[in-house]
Amino acid sequence: MKLRLAAAVAAGKATTWISRRLGMGAGSNFPGRVMLRLDPHAPEEMASRLPRGCVLVSGTNGKTTTSNLLAAMLREGGMRPVHNRVGANLITGITAALAQASDLAGNPRGDIGLFEVDEATLPAAVARLRPRLVIITNLFRDQLDRYGELETLARKMDGALGALAPDAAVLLNADDPLVASLGRESRASLHYYGIECEEVTETSLRHAADSKHCRTCGTALTFSAHYFAHMGKYRCPRCGSTRPQASFTALRVRPRGSAGSEVLLSTPQWEVDLHLGLPGLYNVHNLLAAAGGACLLGLGREEVEKGVAGYATAFGRGERIPVDGRELFLVLSKNPTGFNEVIRTLKGEGTGLVVLAALNDRIADGRDVSWIWDVDFEELAPLPRCLVATGTRAHDMALRMKYAGLDPSRLEVRGDLKEALRTALGRAREGETVYALTTYTATLDLRRLLSRMGAAPALWEGR
Amino acid sequence: MNIYGDRGNVIALVRRCAWRGIEVTVTALSLGDPLDPERYDLFFIGGGQDREQMLVCEDLSAEKGAALRQAVEGGAALLSICGGYQLLGKSFLTWTGEYLPGISLFDAETVGGDTRFIGNVAVHCELSGAEGELVGFENHSGRTRLGPGCQPLGKVIRGHGNNGEDGTEGCVYRNAIGTYLHGSLLPKNPRLADWLLLHALRRRHGLEALPPLDDALEEAAHRAALDLVRRERSTAGGSWKIRSPWRKGKS
Repeated sequence: MKLRLAAAVAAGKATTWISRRLGMGAGSNFPGRVMLRLDPHAPEEMASRLPRGCVLVSGTNGKTTTSNLLAAMLREGGMRPVHNRVGANLITGITAALAQASDLAGNPRGDIGLFEVDEATLPAAVARLRPRLVIITNLFRDQLDRYGELETLARKMDGALGALAPDAAVLLNADDPLVASLGRESRASLHYYGIECEEVTETSLRHAADSKHCRTCGTALTFSAHYFAHMGKYRCPRCGSTRPQASFTALRVRPRGSAGSEVLLSTPQWEVDLHLGLPGLYNVHNLLAAAGGACLLGLGREEVEKGVAGYATAFGRGERIPVDGRELFLVLSKNPTGFNEVIRTLKGEGTGLVVLAALNDRIADGRDVSWIWDVDFEELAPLPRCLVATGTRAHDMALRMKYAGLDPSRLEVRGDLKEALRTALGRAREGETVYALTTYTATLDLRRLLSRMGAAPALWEGR
Repeated sequence: MNIYGDRGNVIALVRRCAWRGIEVTVTALSLGDPLDPERYDLFFIGGGQDREQMLVCEDLSAEKGAALRQAVEGGAALLSICGGYQLLGKSFLTWTGEYLPGISLFDAETVGGDTRFIGNVAVHCELSGAEGELVGFENHSGRTRLGPGCQPLGKVIRGHGNNGEDGTEGCVYRNAIGTYLHGSLLPKNPRLADWLLLHALRRRHGLEALPPLDDALEEAAHRAALDLVRRERSTAGGSWKIRSPWRKGKS
């Protein structure tokens, strides 16, 4: 038994327990920081003790949903994943998750590590955890003040994939031109997933699309199909580089509004019709990423099918929470592409909606809120009969809605979240739904508020 | 170029015209598109990432830059932000040593710095007709210094502005404005939006004043942003600058 590690694990567990007791949060980052101070090699040491190795999930959107879906599939396959479930995705969060799931000597009580990893943290995570599989969901501009521009980020990720062992695998989103261009220098095997259903395409590229140019030669890509943002079937007219052939595909997608989608999932070995209880086309991508990952880890059709069927929504990603005889539909909305897809879902719900929009500008949200001007709120504006704007940037959100065309008489600004929630619930009739669209820290705040009201289980309580 | 919600500035201009019954046509001029200096009343150019900025730089070096200068000399209004502002100056020497020639509309030179200026900004603007505070968010590594041929847009109250040293922010030449403020700038600073619209309309339509609008929400947002910057300063003990994790990046 290594004493340093044991001390670090004990400290990590204790700090987590204390911070939860004191109501400081789920205790997912700070304990990791304490542990790394006591034993800087704690994460690699603990990860190396996982008999089935580690899987990393990275990308701008969909990390949490993809890894939660994959965790459900792995459990169906009899595995016990060690997972940073609440989305603390820096090295500190991963370290804390490992300690939570291990005994006092630092031996994990699971057999496979499943970690979602912040895009900028991927190189460090690969170096420390030596994953056997890396999944990359998509790359959008998100928090430019934190990550820098996309090409810089892509180069860092290329470097991380280049450091993988030859027996490792990489699963990439073929529909995202930037993601599909990653890993060319990697010794690991490359695999792709993508949508193969022309019926769900949009007629034109949206302005929120980020990767419209060929990464090899800089020429504007031509698209034969658009799914959303810059996701689609593309080809470079100059150098001929094109969307890679995907092995894991959705051959048919039928959207069913906020109830989710019907998907015909196809892999090299089998096909299956699934009901995915998560709305939006981006969740079909998350499903493909998870199912592809499960197949690459040796799971079969049955595990994937049961995993999807038994999947419980990750916190804040389309949760429905009953409160005061009304229902709160909670959707994390933190960047233009994610938000546009949420709006697409809301459009299926009709008009006269009660909406709670919470915009925060804390570090984890991005200090810069300019991105709200890139969201197509013009399409949301006809839907609410009442929109309550809240968060640290409540006024910015209200102003955006006014300029999107929402009548100011339907707008209410409530800086205080609790008051905003009360207002929105008051505007809704018995049995009606309040649609809460919240940035990352606002989701945490709202979740905490609801659990204090007894309406939602605390974040860290397993479900 | 369009990054950091530059589109919000265009939305604000279009909406504020529509609310007053002024008809607007927005034309997007892309790389290689010809620019007729007589056809437009107001120009907008936003910020971009390194590669986009280089492509736009080449495009402006051709006839488009000269046509844009001619339009501004003729009294057209213009707003340029961040990357666009830099390209309208005389030159931009990036941190990595690349030299981007500007179109010399503004008597200003930009040199890339080794840290980025990132954070909320408040500026005191002395532009006649738009006096008062401006609020926005800056994110740039370029340091811009103004020559005698243009005036600063305002004095920095909080934040870094043009170069973090001389306390100036942005520049004004005739009816053209360059600035590092995004956020988006115009929705929360409606007086500046109206300044641009008035000068755009005065030139060819002889308009002397704009009908007032109900700006209660805009002013509340402006006040909230100003409070935020002030509070930030007082709680963070003077060191509230966030440094970028990477030295290289958008300029």
